[in-house]
Amino acid sequence: MIQLSRITKAFGRHEVLKGIDLTVGKGEVVAILGPSGSGKTTLLRCINFLEKPSGGTVAIGDFKADGKHPSKKEIHALRLKSAMVFQHYNLFRHKTALENVMEGLVVVRKIPKEQARAKSISVLEKVGLGSKIDAYPSQLSGGQQQRVGIARALALEPEVILFDEPTSALDPELVGEVLEVIRRIAKEGITMIVVTHEMGFARDVANRVVFMDEGLVIEEGDPKEIFARPKEERTKQFLKRITPEASYSI
Amino acid sequence: MKLDPAFIWTAFVQLLSVIPTTLLITAVSVLGGFLIGTGIALLRLYRVPVLSQIAAGYVTFIRGTPMITHLLLIYFGLPAIVDAVSESLGSSFRSVSIPYLAFALIAFTITASAYMSEVVRSGLLAVNRGQLEAAYSIGMTTPQALRRIVFPQALAASLPNLSNSLIGMLHGSTLAFTVSVVEIMAKAQIVASTNWKFFEAYLAAALIFWGLTVLIEQLASRIERRINVYNRGGVA
Repeated sequence: MIQLSRITKAFGRHEVLKGIDLTVGKGEVVAILGPSGSGKTTLLRCINFLEKPSGGTVAIGDFKADGKHPSKKEIHALRLKSAMVFQHYNLFRHKTALENVMEGLVVVRKIPKEQARAKSISVLEKVGLGSKIDAYPSQLSGGQQQRVGIARALALEPEVILFDEPTSALDPELVGEVLEVIRRIAKEGITMIVVTHEMGFARDVANRVVFMDEGLVIEEGDPKEIFARPKEERTKQFLKRITPEASYSI
Repeated sequence: MKLDPAFIWTAFVQLLSVIPTTLLITAVSVLGGFLIGTGIALLRLYRVPVLSQIAAGYVTFIRGTPMITHLLLIYFGLPAIVDAVSESLGSSFRSVSIPYLAFALIAFTITASAYMSEVVRSGLLAVNRGQLEAAYSIGMTTPQALRRIVFPQALAASLPNLSNSLIGMLHGSTLAFTVSVVEIMAKAQIVASTNWKFFEAYLAAALIFWGLTVLIEQLASRIERRINVYNRGGVA
């Protein structure tokens, strides 16, 4: 279970997060939506302290870290319990697909190499890249790179996987293959927090959507409910803009 | 003046004997400079308070003064310090027993460290921040992330600059001559003056330096090809 309470974050004078509370249960898939600049990505990055919150607490499982004054040990512990899939993949450029996935298992989890290798291969097969294990990131398409990124996170068996706009950098025709993989692992009951602009994906896969704007959670709840009958005015406006088919009459 | 082609060969053979001295000076100063330079680059990149300012001052002073000045300052300054220290410790060690070569090694390591720190820094800056974040996200500590993810990529990115510095230090090592270390140029002068055939001797020295440089270039391009298999060429 992940519990964020009263998370704030300011970059200089600019307040990006203005006190966010969010609880994610085990096995839950939560989609965070909202216009750009609303603080979704910053919130996600506060969970594994790639961004240090200005205040609040982050808890994963029974482990809790103070946002403002975390110790190195606390940050490390949170990172061991989570994994992240990045918008720009961030695969280790000098390592093959297999080495990318093995790296965390061998270096961080200290799993013997042979065992880590076998496990990494099976996870890469799961994301449909069994034939590409020896390819370097530069030899893979965006969609394939992102699937390696997902495999790298998945192999660590973290308590939660954080997805930071996993399809935003992809060519439109490659979005499908990545969403398909995420959809599949969502069904396996892995806890996921997904920042996304893919409304269809959020509606179909998420158990809950959280709508953010200007550093605050505006509305949250069942995706079918929110997409069909948003309560807040800002949610309505946003959904209208992002699903234009409703606003056009031809 | 008449050229004596045969003497070029005679000189060439005699010069071969001191190649190890030149290579030792080059290797020690480049390796030592690389290690110290890496430390300096990290201090500056992480903006470590006080130390990073000292490091920046060190780099600008060393790069702002000629290599031969470093050598002479060390040669004339270090003995006084060594003697004072060893005297206060009651040791019988005196600076006269320091071999000339040691002064050259220390001075050139200092020279190289300032230039290397910039080479390493540019390599580190070439690594995308996302690489470090990805390393953190899978639970690596900073030393693990630097060693396994950042340094290998930074090294690959700075290889062309590194081979440049290596060649520069190889040629710079000839200054050791001024503190009586017999390296290639000193030997060339000795060979020349005993026979009064300066041009031939220096020509032989030039050929040796060129040969060594070509070797370094070959070696560098081979390493570059091996280390950069993952790169699909920069802008090309």
